[in-house]
Amino acid sequence: MEIVVCVKPVPEAESRLRANASGTAPDTDGVKFVLAGYDESAVEQALLLRQAVPGSKVHAVSLGPPSRTDEVLRAALALGSDSATAAESDAPPMADPIATARGLATAIAARGPCDLLLFGKQAGDDEEGLVGGATAEALGLPFVGFVVDLRFDAAASRLRFRRSVERGEESWESPLPLAVGLQQAWNDPRTATLPAILRSRKAPLARHAAGPGAAVAAASVAERFALPPPRQGAKMIAYRDPQQAASQLVRLLREEAKVFP
Amino acid sequence: MSDVVLVVGEADGDGLAEPTREAVTVARRLAGSQGTVLGFVAGRGASGRAAGFAAIGVGQVVVADDPRWDAAPPAALARPVAAAASNAGAFAVVVGGSSFGRDLVGGVAVALGASAANGVTEAERIPEGVRVRRPVFGGRATEERRLEGGRAVLSVRPHAFPAAEGPPTSLRPEPAPNAEPAPAQLAPARTAVAAASRGAGPGLADAAIVVSGGRGLRSPEGFRLVEELAEALGAAVGASRAVTDAGWRPTSMQVGQTGRTVSPQLYIAVGISGAIQHLVGMVSSRVIVAINSDPSAPIFRVADYGLAGDLFELVPALTAEVRRVRGS
Repeated sequence: MEIVVCVKPVPEAESRLRANASGTAPDTDGVKFVLAGYDESAVEQALLLRQAVPGSKVHAVSLGPPSRTDEVLRAALALGSDSATAAESDAPPMADPIATARGLATAIAARGPCDLLLFGKQAGDDEEGLVGGATAEALGLPFVGFVVDLRFDAAASRLRFRRSVERGEESWESPLPLAVGLQQAWNDPRTATLPAILRSRKAPLARHAAGPGAAVAAASVAERFALPPPRQGAKMIAYRDPQQAASQLVRLLREEAKVFP
Repeated sequence: MSDVVLVVGEADGDGLAEPTREAVTVARRLAGSQGTVLGFVAGRGASGRAAGFAAIGVGQVVVADDPRWDAAPPAALARPVAAAASNAGAFAVVVGGSSFGRDLVGGVAVALGASAANGVTEAERIPEGVRVRRPVFGGRATEERRLEGGRAVLSVRPHAFPAAEGPPTSLRPEPAPNAEPAPAQLAPARTAVAAASRGAGPGLADAAIVVSGGRGLRSPEGFRLVEELAEALGAAVGASRAVTDAGWRPTSMQVGQTGRTVSPQLYIAVGISGAIQHLVGMVSSRVIVAINSDPSAPIFRVADYGLAGDLFELVPALTAEVRRVRGS
């Protein structure tokens, strides 16, 4: 099974969040870009399937300028991916997701066969969750999102999985090829070993110019990026005993915050 | 300039799902008083569900009455929806922010050559197209985007808009234009549906109140205090990563960077210190209450109300008080 995992570089969770000088996007000055949390789980899912289905290969693909993609592709290699492709584009960090999807689709089609295309649920920065469905459509592949517990039934040559949605859990099956958006980090992603990290530093990255595929007439343009005013910190409730603390809190939620049912 | 907006209807039993009615509210604002909101329904019994649109005043409905859609993934509708939008000359396609809608938006945008956004909390018509606002970075920031190019596809963040109401109108169904998905797109099949296992409480994603517990509860038994409080409040139960990693509760309950993002009206964090990985999953909640034994815990910096002290005394007292005032 040829498994392709799309990975996105996102600002490290601990990095300070603020708007850039024009107030249109987050400031990326001095911000470290890392493999998105959900994408790390997608890589783990790919590696588990490779283990279960002999002869499988895992390929990581990422779109953006090398300054952001190379780091996360090397992280995917260090975790165990067989190859990595950088779809080069000068897109900003929170670029139009549909243009990103078109660029990824071009790079994936050019790379070679793809039986299973994996995406994390959404990125930790723009939280669009659009790229999976859009890339699949551009490649004419079926797409299923919110997937948990993805397995390959070799005897039936079918993928079996569940879809975790509002009304409960659905059971699904599908032949290959398929594009999947994973619901969450249900697996416990492995950590790369030091020798693997050192090897990944020197590993070759395939490069693909994503430019033309990413250009479409329609586009979404970032106009404004703003942080809400900082919260003031909690109003601490002083109390004599737990019963009095409880009744004070309920009164405040009811009369002041007006959220108590 | 086109003034048509297409809303894709999600089925809930024989009727329309709540998120679709929220999408109709947004579609009406975009279309304006002179514009037209057009419905779209697919699947076996779609004609019946079209009546759900007419009941809230959307009479013109495109109907794809074809049983193939029942077991197919939502994204398989991308090309038929795009064809219906194109046929009607719609400048926007709006869907509810459920898993159905979020799975559909990206594919429709590609099929339509449109731009797109998921989870919008504001949408307005502008000369270039549609301007949307949406929370990003786990609610730590908001962005505004202009969706240009004459066509926009968007999903609406749950609970951000009221569900559309009537008055009812007469149904004017029209057949969907003939547009097939790629053959492979109909191959995945849903084989079974199990209703949510924790049937008693609401799901984390839709709950108006969430009570979450963390390491401070000390044990799987200690975590029961959180579940009792949630039950008294009619709330969903969440957990920090420490709790799910320790196996006290399933990973599906995890709130935070590697779990679910929630934005309820009221979030109560019990015994959660407030690591940034947890905060990004809940900080956009409207009102936050923190209960923690350590008065210097970072959770108190993002909370609106704080109670510092012994959880094992404070939480049962709160549960009792909630039961008392709710009269149960």
